[in-house]
This record gives sequence, structure tokens and C-alpha cells, in this order.
Amino acid sequence: MLPSYYEFHNPVKIISGNKALDNLPSELEILGAKRPMVVTDKGVAGAGLVKIFIDSFGSSGMTIGAIFDDVPPDSSSEVVEKITSIFRQNKCDSIVALGGGSVIDTAKGVNILVTENSDDLLKFSGAEVLKKKMKPLVVIPTTSGTGSEVTVVAVISDVKRNLKMPFASTYLLPDIALLDPRMTLTLPPKMTAATAMDAMCHAVESYINLQKNPMSDAYAVAAIEMIRKNVLKAVSDGNNAQVRLAMANASTMAGIAFSNSMVGVVHALGHAAGGICHIPHGVAMNIFLPFGLEYNLPKCRENIGKLLLPLAGAEVYARTPESRRAEQTINHIVELRKALNDLCGLPINLKQAGVTEDKLSEIAQAAINDPSIVMNPREMDANDALAILKKAFE
Amino acid sequence: MNVQYRPIVPSIKRFKIFVIKIVFIVLGRAFQSASQHDEEIKKEISSWRDGFTLIMKVMPDGPYMGLEKKNNMLEFKGSQLKQADLEIYFRNVESAFMIMTPQMGSHQAFAERRMSIKGDLGIATAFTRALVIVMSLLYPEFIVKRLVKRVPPLTLKRAGLRVWLYTFGIVLAR
Repeated sequence: MLPSYYEFHNPVKIISGNKALDNLPSELEILGAKRPMVVTDKGVAGAGLVKIFIDSFGSSGMTIGAIFDDVPPDSSSEVVEKITSIFRQNKCDSIVALGGGSVIDTAKGVNILVTENSDDLLKFSGAEVLKKKMKPLVVIPTTSGTGSEVTVVAVISDVKRNLKMPFASTYLLPDIALLDPRMTLTLPPKMTAATAMDAMCHAVESYINLQKNPMSDAYAVAAIEMIRKNVLKAVSDGNNAQVRLAMANASTMAGIAFSNSMVGVVHALGHAAGGICHIPHGVAMNIFLPFGLEYNLPKCRENIGKLLLPLAGAEVYARTPESRRAEQTINHIVELRKALNDLCGLPINLKQAGVTEDKLSEIAQAAINDPSIVMNPREMDANDALAILKKAFE
Repeated sequence: MNVQYRPIVPSIKRFKIFVIKIVFIVLGRAFQSASQHDEEIKKEISSWRDGFTLIMKVMPDGPYMGLEKKNNMLEFKGSQLKQADLEIYFRNVESAFMIMTPQMGSHQAFAERRMSIKGDLGIATAFTRALVIVMSLLYPEFIVKRLVKRVPPLTLKRAGLRVWLYTFGIVLAR
């Protein structure tokens, strides 16, 4: 059904394909950038991706202002400040994020400080606080899951004050998302599976929540179908460039979907579990997705049922009675989780992920204060959250 | 023939702005009163620092109202606050009128981007829950059902608080 009113915004240029990276220097030139700073991490550098990146600048006449390759797994304000100072010292004029969610969010944080000419990131935390057009930002994802290359959000930890700072602004949208299959070929199977389930959650939640709209639906459905067709191959045969590129595209489409229609209880629980028990985000998404759908069944059975088509294919969809499609959708996700668990050991419950039962109440309380639940179709209180967590425990 | 091009100053939507101002006063006073009596609202605001301020404002240049956390309650500040720690915007007069009258709930308004937030999203989430409770106290259940995802339970204490709000609470803001 068409919503009475909606908005959809995605100005990010998507560049996808074989050796797409080689177009980067000319794309930077179009953006007016001459001296980019590269933000990446040790894992990416160790996998040889930085070398491929530098090679793509060969004969371009462009200078890479600096390469910072020490972003930790959780982006922090200290690292953002350190990179900002290197950016200024080396007179850089643009930023290239080469990495996963943490690297991309760190790059967005650096862009805030260099654009606002400030050293206090906390001042800009929250929604719609930013008021200036940012420096050119190009994102090259090395995982296929966060979708951060096309979203308006970033989350950065303030280690000194012990808090997570969320940032949400259309100014945080990168200028370019560059998807090159070489950048995800070395991603280990378990991380491939976890990030794929993160993308799956983005697409599924964006399709069932209150802010869904025809544009985000189109991206979500396309993303789910592409994940269904490629995820098991990507985990079992990581060297398949076509499959990797498909997963990168699926992740970006899911990112566009949820950036325009938000997520829901699965993410609220995942953020809370991640914050308290340090479960990797993709692992948490994999654990909570079927339980989140089950919880939302009374409010959006029809929409969950419609997801059976991209999730299981036309034949299964056609032979499933309409009244059973929502349950079948959930069953298919459960089966997918089992297949991934068999292939690479991706945890399917909280116990397997190392969470102890005494933490569940704390997670439940944190989940109901997570902004992700605002657009969820069903109002989740602490008791509901605890009930879901108990189901997901073992 | 010379055509004269003159600047056009659109008329002011006086009636709708008047209604919004009245609702802001009622809502602000209801918040001040309910935050002193309702345990759920007290719980929602308990983690906010003392002196925390928020405003609800109609964009771009419409009416606004402010609230400040003082002594574990929300104090109605009318239009005294120009800026606040948390700012909740109505995108235009028509959207604000629709939400204030109340033809549309806050969740749908956020979903349709008729309302937006500047500031801490966690506190905004807690405020939205408190707003739902105040709405459920101000309006009968058949209206509230259309506005919220889940109607807060009308306990005996809440029924008493509703009577208090309608008789003295809003007038005295106590």
C-alpha cells in the first residue's frame, strides 16, 4: 500500500564492477579533490588491499596525502581526532574510506571535524546537528554488510566519557560508493556470513517497518533476492569475484533501503547486545532476525509474507498459501541460519555467541532506549525485549 | 506592455497557528503536571540531567514551546527557550496542525518525516514514550488507539490522574 506521504533520498554515486577502483583518481578529480587522505585498518592493509588501492593511482598524477591504517574494530573519538590532525598536517582535501563499518564511520567522523574545523566530536552528535556541506568522501567497502557507504548515519565511541555517539545527517552521505570485487575477496567465511546477515536484516527490517515506502521496498526486495542467490556461495567459495560483487551490490541496496526507512527491533536488540556483551553486529543480527520477525507478526503479517518471494523464489511462494507465507518466510531465514552455521560456525543463539544469562535484563533495558525501535511496527517494552532475548538465548 | 513584478507576501495561517499555540500550552502544562505524578514518565526522565531543556517548534518560523527538567519533573517554559538540548521540529504549520489536533500520532509523523529531531536520539526515544503517556491521559481511548502503537494501560492511578489533569492539573500545572 502506498504511504500517505514519504521521502526518499540517495544522492550517492554508485560505481560497481571489475576494476572499478581504477576509476577513483578521475572521480576524485570530478569532485575537485587532489590530495585524498586514506582511512583504513590493519586487516585491510595486511590483506594487500592498500597496495591494490595505491596501484590504482598509478599514472594519475595525483598524490595520496596520507594513509592511516590503524582504525580499531570499534571507531573511537580518539582515533578520529588523531586522523583529523594528520589530515590537517598533510594538507589533504578529501577522504577515502577503505574498509568495513568501523573504518567508514571513522572517516565520517573525520569529515565532520575537518569540515567544521573543530576538535570536539561530541558537539556534533545527534540528529541533524550538522549544517555544512562536507569535504569529498569516497567509500570503498571491504565487507558486504554495513551499507554505511550509502547511509546518513555514523556511530563513534567516546572512550573518555564511555558513551556511543550517534550521528545522523544527510551531510554524512558519501559522494561515491565504489564497489570493486577485489576488495571483498579476502573476507573470511565467518565474517562474510555475519556481514551478509547484517545486510539481510537491513533489507528485511526496512521492508516491514513504519517508514517503508515504494522506493525503499524496491531496494530491499532486490537486496534480499541477491543475498539469497549468492550468500552460501560467497561463504563457501570466497574467491568467486562475481558472487562477491553481487553481495557488495546487495549490501549497498539494503543500505539505501534502510537509510530511507530505518530499521527495527532486531537492530535495537543487536545494538544493545553489542554494547553490553560486545557481540559482533552481524552475529547479533543473525541471532535476532527470526525472533524479531516472529515478534512483529501480529502487526505486519502481510508484509513479512511478501518477503517469501525474494527469500525463497517464485515456486515456493506460489505453492505456499497466503495464510502461511509469513511463517514460511521466518522458516526460510531459520534454514539459512542453519546452513551458515554448518558452513562456517556462525552462532545462532546468544549462548553460542558467549552471552551469559545474567546480562539479558540489562540488554533488554538498553534495547528499548535504542532509537531503532521508533519505526518498528510493534511497540516493544522491556518485558517484550526480555522475552525475545530469552527465546534467542539457546 | 510592461508587466510589474512585485514581491508576494503569503498570508499567515492565523487560525491554525492559534490552535497550535493553544495545544502547546495544554500539552506543556499537562507534561508539567503528569511528570509529577505518573511513575512511567518519572522513570523516562530520571536519567536526564537536571536543567536539560527541550523545545517543540513549528518550522521554519512558527510557534514553539519549551520544557526543562527541574527537580525530577518537566517544567513548562512556554516560549522562553529559543534553543534547547533536544529540539523537536514540525516541518510546517499543516503537519503541526495535523499532529496537534490530533489527527496523526507521533510515530507516523516521524515515519512521514513531518517531525524531525535535533539532539540526543536516545533521549528523544524516551520523550516519545512519555509523550504517548500524556496523549493517553489527554484523549479518550478510541482516539489514542489511532495515534499510538500500543495504548498505555489505564490503571486506577492513571484514571485518577486524568481526572486531575482535566480539573486542576492543566490549569495549575501541578
